[in-house]
Amino acid sequence: MTEIEQLLARQARWQKSRKALSWPEKIRMAEQIRASVAQWRSLAGYNAAAVHKSKSVRA
Amino acid sequence: MKELAQLLNEMQSAGVIQNYALFGATAQMRYTEPVATLDADVLVAVPSPDRLDALGGIYEFCAAKGYHPEGEAIQVGAWPVQFVPAFSPLTREAMEQAETADFEGVPFRVVRADYLAVIALSVGRAKDCARILALLESDSVSREEIERLAVRHGLAEAWRRFERRFLND
Repeated sequence: MTEIEQLLARQARWQKSRKALSWPEKIRMAEQIRASVAQWRSLAGYNAAAVHKSKSVRA
Repeated sequence: MKELAQLLNEMQSAGVIQNYALFGATAQMRYTEPVATLDADVLVAVPSPDRLDALGGIYEFCAAKGYHPEGEAIQVGAWPVQFVPAFSPLTREAMEQAETADFEGVPFRVVRADYLAVIALSVGRAKDCARILALLESDSVSREEIERLAVRHGLAEAWRRFERRFLND
């Protein structure tokens, strides 16, 4: 098995183990990553707005 | 999420809503691995759906319990919750056919995997396509079950397109 195949197999095992968690446990995991996702999305929105503004200024 | 289940059950007992069912990403997670999502979506049947403020009773009930709106959602515990009136035959049926799951000892009505897939098919964004694939991969629903439901709700062509794009070699 190549290094890449090993990596993919490891990832598949990890994903399968997360799928086997109970629904409340998965919801708790989703709660934990919510804050990071919200921060990332607002940052992405901020960056897009900054690029748009920069283009407008140059125009 | 347990807090939301309790709130929805209270709302139903009080007659503010006739029925409800959790759908979207938080419902999907019953069957698949956890996914990133910002809010919880709930289908609701309200007593007077034709009123301009069809969700007014829900907002009043939540405010009386100390849950207040933030943008288009109401914050309940950790989750901003979007209440969506069951607006079409598909969503009404999905709500009526929902399963009652157990969420840490609290009954919680949740849309079934086949309906989650077909609702996603009807919306058709990239993340909805990913949801259908995740549900299929989890073996919680089969291609045949999705097809039957899709055909019944006038989504046969959308399903054929999805199959061509993602499932057929």
